[in-house]
Amino acid sequence: MFIEYTWLIPAIPLIMFVIVGLLAKGDNNRGGGLAILGALATLVISVLVVYEFLTGDAYATEGFVTESIKWFSIGGYEITLGYYVDGLTCIMLLFSTFISLLIFVYSMGYMDDQGKRKSRYYAEISLFLAGMTGLIVANNYLMMFVFWEVMGLCSYLLIGFWSFNHPQGDEASDNAASAAKKAFLVTRLGDASFMAGLFVLLYAFQSLDFTEVFNVAAIGNVDHNLIVIATLLLFGGAIGKSAQFPLQDWLPDAMAGPTTVSALIHAATMVKAGVYLVARSFPLFTQSAEVMLFVGLIGGITAILAASMALANNNIKKVLAFSTISQLGYMFMALGAGGYLMALGMNNSDPALMALGGLGYTAGVFHMLNHAFFKAQLFLGSGSVIHSTGTEDMREMGGLGKKMKSTSITMMIGSLSIAGFPFFSGFWSKDLILDTVLNASKYGSEGYLFAIVWILGIITVLMTAFYMFRMWYMTFGGPEGPATETCHGESPKSMTVPLWLLAIFAFGSGFLLLFGLDGIITIDAANGFLVGTLAGEGALYWVEHMLTNPYTYLSIGLALIGIFVAYLMYSRFAVNPGKFNKEGTSWLYRALENRWWFPQFYDWVSWTFGYKVGKTVNAFDQKVVDGAVNGLASAVVESGESGKYMQTGNVGNYASVVMLGMSVIFVGALLFIYYMGGM
Amino acid sequence: MNIDVSSIMDVFDSIAPVLPILILIIGALFMPAIQMIFKRGKVTAATALVVVIISAALNAHMLYHGQTGEFSSLFVYDAFSGLLILLFQAVVFIAILVASVSRETTARHVGAFYALLLVATSGMCFVATATDLLTIFVGVEMVSIPSYAMVALKRHDSRASEAAVKYVIIGGLSSGLTVYGISMLFGLSGTTNILGIASYVEGAGYSAALIIALATMIAGYGFKIALVPFHSWAPDVYEGAATPVSIFLSTGSKKMGIVVFIKIFFVLFVFIQSTKAGMTEGMQYVFAILAAVTMTVGNVVAIAQTNVKRMLAYSSIAQAGYMMIAFAVLSQWALTGTIYYMFAHVFMKGGAFVIVAILIHAGIGETLKDYRGLAKRAPLLSALMLIFLFSLAGIPPLGGFTAKFFLFSSAIVTDLGGAVTAQWMWLAFVAIINSAISLYYYARVIKAMYVEKGETEEKFKVPVPMMVAAILCVLGVILMGVYPGPFLHYCSEAAAAIMSLLP
Repeated sequence: MFIEYTWLIPAIPLIMFVIVGLLAKGDNNRGGGLAILGALATLVISVLVVYEFLTGDAYATEGFVTESIKWFSIGGYEITLGYYVDGLTCIMLLFSTFISLLIFVYSMGYMDDQGKRKSRYYAEISLFLAGMTGLIVANNYLMMFVFWEVMGLCSYLLIGFWSFNHPQGDEASDNAASAAKKAFLVTRLGDASFMAGLFVLLYAFQSLDFTEVFNVAAIGNVDHNLIVIATLLLFGGAIGKSAQFPLQDWLPDAMAGPTTVSALIHAATMVKAGVYLVARSFPLFTQSAEVMLFVGLIGGITAILAASMALANNNIKKVLAFSTISQLGYMFMALGAGGYLMALGMNNSDPALMALGGLGYTAGVFHMLNHAFFKAQLFLGSGSVIHSTGTEDMREMGGLGKKMKSTSITMMIGSLSIAGFPFFSGFWSKDLILDTVLNASKYGSEGYLFAIVWILGIITVLMTAFYMFRMWYMTFGGPEGPATETCHGESPKSMTVPLWLLAIFAFGSGFLLLFGLDGIITIDAANGFLVGTLAGEGALYWVEHMLTNPYTYLSIGLALIGIFVAYLMYSRFAVNPGKFNKEGTSWLYRALENRWWFPQFYDWVSWTFGYKVGKTVNAFDQKVVDGAVNGLASAVVESGESGKYMQTGNVGNYASVVMLGMSVIFVGALLFIYYMGGM
Repeated sequence: MNIDVSSIMDVFDSIAPVLPILILIIGALFMPAIQMIFKRGKVTAATALVVVIISAALNAHMLYHGQTGEFSSLFVYDAFSGLLILLFQAVVFIAILVASVSRETTARHVGAFYALLLVATSGMCFVATATDLLTIFVGVEMVSIPSYAMVALKRHDSRASEAAVKYVIIGGLSSGLTVYGISMLFGLSGTTNILGIASYVEGAGYSAALIIALATMIAGYGFKIALVPFHSWAPDVYEGAATPVSIFLSTGSKKMGIVVFIKIFFVLFVFIQSTKAGMTEGMQYVFAILAAVTMTVGNVVAIAQTNVKRMLAYSSIAQAGYMMIAFAVLSQWALTGTIYYMFAHVFMKGGAFVIVAILIHAGIGETLKDYRGLAKRAPLLSALMLIFLFSLAGIPPLGGFTAKFFLFSSAIVTDLGGAVTAQWMWLAFVAIINSAISLYYYARVIKAMYVEKGETEEKFKVPVPMMVAAILCVLGVILMGVYPGPFLHYCSEAAAAIMSLLP
């Protein structure tokens, strides 16, 4: 009785976008109120839908409920608009609408001083919520792509929100503008790949509906190579959206937007869309072990690369951004390793291997859920700090712990969780991921590559613990910095209440695993890729599974070492970090500081291949092709001597290009026709 | 009201199929007289609008009732020509709205200007109905010659004069090439009817003379579409001409070029393909390469532009490249996509030019620098421009995206149940990458409007007719994106009408 209204989930925030965008004017909180109302309604409907679905018959039998109407048809194909609800949809819906609501509420405090621009802000985040929920409930790839792009658009608009007039001055506002553009353009590269993937899928399956594409019989009939191409192209989209190597560089720059936006879009929800895309397309991705291997490798490289960049950064938001990229890398690692095992299992008809692969899927999605909570918490905490101190530079902070009790305690919880401290949420999912990767290294001829991924992952555990606590101690520990002395103290209730709520989840969402969450986010390759089977493992199973695995203790140990080193360096000052980087002159430190020179590389590429080539061709067009006629004009206007110029053959250039072009077409046509028949 | 279409037939007899066009021509003849009597440009413009509306209403009525007809076996009215006539009528409607208040167009020859505009439009409509090389040629010239004059009408402007001279010279060269090609085809096949030529080619195969004829005609009509390498007039002309004329040329004249290509090459090669499949492959590759080169050059050069009108001109060249995909793929789906794209392009490119016209009218200028801080001065205009540019870049859920989806997908996916080929997958990929690149230069305009600071924050007045034109365009862009069904229906009917010409 509620599932039929699933379409309302994206529709309500969309309506709020229109209402707030058109009607809310002036410096007041009416726009914010409406947006929160919309988010609340979205959350309530989502909860009702999820409840009905999980308790309904469809969940236990088919595993999904879908319904659609015709959008348009072309060439005999029908493209639909509709919803598709399964276990994955449920999890995504719950956490993204819940976190959105909290962040909308938090915005009431955080954006309170933004004057008339507030309405624009609330309109845009409402549109964003529509995009995110639309992506989640979409029943086909085209609809998914449309919402995917709507989110990209909102991300562009919101990163650039402060481009007019940044609270921190003109330089920051230029920065915001170029960051927004970069984010948009870089993710567009991924989007182009996604779009190409859509066409290949439509070509291969003659449909874009999930029910058709995920149909085991249909998959069996399609050329294997086409699926490989399609999945690689889809993964290209995921690389762009989820900021994976080599397109990771836009996300740190995207921190130029308001912190609420960073928390909502660039940590909790939108950047998960890439992971969601891969998880959603698991039936396709698992058709090829090589593709999954590739996914896992990209995840592993990204995880360690981004973590290394976070080690040497002094901007509180950028540290969190790098950590987001790194954690997204973990999710792809899990999906890659799980899918790899599943693909091998399906090739060898080995149910045990398939089940082991399903565990990777569970781990990846589970980590996505946990990460949404602790990273949203950390970002909002950093927002609270920035709101209070007016700076993002951690070197000016320090000693804030006493002045901002709630913020510092909640951020400690978030940091422990991301570092993988035992029984905090990050612990469960991260160790499950590493466990899967290690399993994957034992099977198949390319399995040894997963051993490398596992090593990357386990080193990243150490790095993560170190940079998170470096951040915490630099901000809240140690002596008071200049910004601390002038800070406004603790933030208002509208900000601290969401912080606490998120902190509770950041601590406790891992325990959901003990209450059968794994039953909802599992995929059963042996049974038509059924997502969710209702029956999860018992609570004690997971505790036992984790604590009897020696590698769990390895990762716990590494996390503790990381925390301890950070404590020594930044709280006790017993170890001078300058000793390791030769006071910032070692090549490694410079590489980290310059983000491994990725930004320069991007600039070089776009400058050389974009602008310079454009300039050259343009010059050719203007000087060679029609330089002739330039100057002719003034002659015509002034003295009417056009004939003279024409006879001197100046226009000849122009005409000869036309003739040359025609000759090329003639020769080309002749050759093609000669070789391809028809003469 | 329940008027039977046959009543139109009864009243006008055999003229009925060309009636919407005749109305335009008769209107054109009255324009100078009206200007002479009332001596006010606005009255003339209003009359021209009324003429267009009557003609469009009649045409829409005929199209809706699915009327078909033939006029002395040279002109055919069917779902295709009806739809394309409607497109040209929409183009001229927007152009007149903008021209009626524009200060760029002539003040002394208002009557002549509107007469030229309407004659050129009727020329386009003739092309849409023509079935014979000669009538196509005459129709095209009927557009070209008034266009030269319209570009030159912006007097005392060196850029416009230069553009006009260039346009005339290259236009003349192209016409010459075309006639040459037509005469060779006639010499070879003994007919100027396209289907007749097709059955000749099918029987006799390619000869060197035939290929020369094809190459000259591709070059000649490629000039109209601004295919690379026949494109270099377009940026100069669009930049130099008065903006209403630029709107007319970039959205109308270019579409007419595509229609010519459809009428000649699409029909020709689909006809041959239907009986001898392997025979067209060579020419398909020629068109595919032309398409790929055109879209790439257009997009890459657009990056380097600082004048918004010039940038839009180069982007038009790129868009023409996308539309050329249909000639490589040669399927009904691709044709449907191209027709849909033509409509989307009218609204999004026309809309962007309307905004440019408004800004020129307000004395703001047309370079990127002049656009700085526009969002503060004119929030609504900037928002509209944003939508047009995003649509051009193919961002959903706007018309440009759906159009690109239909068109690009046609290069990979064949009609349901059709033969499966992955031959043109590379072309679709080139097109997709190109549309990703194009965002780069559109984003520069958006950045200038929304991000960079202008010298002033003073508001300015926008003439009502121009605003109406912009709003109409934005409605078109959004509707075509969100609810493509009905538009798509008419486009596929039109494509089916072209396919039904074949035996």
